[in-house]
Amino acid sequence: MMQKLEKILMPIANVLSRNKILSAIRDGFLVTVPITIVGSIFLLISNFPMQGFLDMMTAIFGAGWDAYLGRVSAIAFDCVALLGVLSIGYCYAREKGLENRIGGAVVALVCFLIITPQKTFVEVEGAAEAASFSGFQFTFLGTAGMFLAMITAILSVEIYAWAIRKKLIIRLPDGVPPMVMESFASLVPSAIAMTVFFAVGIIFDHTSFEYVHYFIYQVLQAPLVGLGKLSGFEVIYQFLSTLFWFFGINGPAVTNTIFSPIHKVLTVENYEAAQAGLEMTNIFTAGFSDFFCNFGGGGSTLGLVIMMAFLGKSNRMKTLGRLSLPAGIFGINEPLIFGLPIVLNPLMAVPFILAPVANTIIGYVATVTGIMPITLGVQLPWTCPIVFSGFLVTGSVMGSVVQIVMLAVDILIYYPFFKLLDKRYLEEESAASGETDELDDLSFDDLELD
Amino acid sequence: MKVVLIFDQGLAGAGGKSNPNVGLTAVKGGIGSALMLEPHFEKIGAQVAATLYCGNEYFRDNEEEVVKKMTAMVKKVKPDFVLCGPCFNYLDYGKMAAMISTSILESTDIKSCAMMSVENADTIAAYKDKTPILKMPKKGGTGLNDSFADLCEFIQCTVKQSEELENVRTRVCY
Repeated sequence: MMQKLEKILMPIANVLSRNKILSAIRDGFLVTVPITIVGSIFLLISNFPMQGFLDMMTAIFGAGWDAYLGRVSAIAFDCVALLGVLSIGYCYAREKGLENRIGGAVVALVCFLIITPQKTFVEVEGAAEAASFSGFQFTFLGTAGMFLAMITAILSVEIYAWAIRKKLIIRLPDGVPPMVMESFASLVPSAIAMTVFFAVGIIFDHTSFEYVHYFIYQVLQAPLVGLGKLSGFEVIYQFLSTLFWFFGINGPAVTNTIFSPIHKVLTVENYEAAQAGLEMTNIFTAGFSDFFCNFGGGGSTLGLVIMMAFLGKSNRMKTLGRLSLPAGIFGINEPLIFGLPIVLNPLMAVPFILAPVANTIIGYVATVTGIMPITLGVQLPWTCPIVFSGFLVTGSVMGSVVQIVMLAVDILIYYPFFKLLDKRYLEEESAASGETDELDDLSFDDLELD
Repeated sequence: MKVVLIFDQGLAGAGGKSNPNVGLTAVKGGIGSALMLEPHFEKIGAQVAATLYCGNEYFRDNEEEVVKKMTAMVKKVKPDFVLCGPCFNYLDYGKMAAMISTSILESTDIKSCAMMSVENADTIAAYKDKTPILKMPKKGGTGLNDSFADLCEFIQCTVKQSEELENVRTRVCY
């Protein structure tokens, strides 16, 4: 059964994790994560869920202090497509084996800006026609442009790489400094990519969509992000991520190729709704996925580690539990994955897969019933510990309470399997001390060296 | 068939990066990641006699001592085969495994191999002519089970001194 399952999953994992386009998109979004986290911290300070703190800040810095912080969070969230096109362009240039990766990234950025509306119209009261001014709108640079950013980055770098491969480059004589040589070598490939996107922009100007942004948003982004709004979305993500891990395959590295752009859009949409004073509606944000599905790493193993450390009877369980607990609190379970082990260990497969799914369902129910607020459009470091993360990502102490309930459920799910494994290890340890043979007194201390 | 495993602290279940200085330790039977290997070992009638391990930083600080004492301990246990691995893409562990396996092959009659992913490129280049180094995926990569099946085929051919050994070695080693 397990072998059959692995035979099905392995080719899927290979296709997804080795696909150059999907890897570039996944890694490109990873590049933007630190920016989003820093922006989220600024956003959290300006919207801290304690009125006393906000009053204190106003008393110290005066009214309007939060607007200054908004300058940082606006760039992190409202320019997410702009950051994405640059980082995905860079990662795709790497995947294509280009030496001048930053050249590819810049071409991707420029192509995206070429097809982005450069004029903004504003209704003026009393005027017959809308006034216009030159400049980009956040609307096109933020979440609504994210899928277009991905497509533009891939296509523009593909064209750029094709031109380089076909040697459509200007060669300068030897002795010219390498930077100048590289810069001129990029000239024709950049020109071809930019001209193609220039043409694409003009073509869409003459369609009912008016801008490529609207076309991609309606045809691709809205339907795909719509999948992320279905109640089964996160359960499928969590299930697949841990299922792959069980076979030793880094699950999120595979599933994120598909799911991370959707998570990103859902998160930023919540931010934009909050900024516009609208209701946030997306449940399955990056914050939900990071802090309400897994505690202590993939498979939500924090409950298991706590039991190992404090309830384990075998030395192996106790030692590994105590050594793994500090890292587990910060969401890292590598010592457990290979040391317990969890990989290829059929006994631990059931709770390892079940616990994150149970957490996801509890989190979903708690959100739709209003027990805890919907997660904010902020992204915190995934190492943020339980209780703190629940409070910060929902702005309510109920977020922490729900996390504690989930941890208790995880402990219940893992308990019978933990007991079985602990018993087995204990038997092995007592059998080893009961039997006597030449291997009983193995010790490096009294080893005779030649 | 008696097999000895040489692990680092992570695979031994003695903590990962939080416990890098754990000294040389010998345990009867298989511990930690041995559980992943046991179903494969059962198919070829192999049993883990002992697991020897130390922390990656301990190895870095005491390379010579670790290699010498691990080799001496292997001599004492007298297994049919020593597996120095699976090291995944852990670089210190990969180097330790290759050095110990080389030492065992050079100074004893016991068969041995190392096993690591391609990320250990420097170690592979330096030691692949001195000891068999089996291919395997990096941590989180695909094909872990297949690499264990290859390992068992290699162990069996090596211990039985099968005529197929060279073919198998060409296929499964770097």
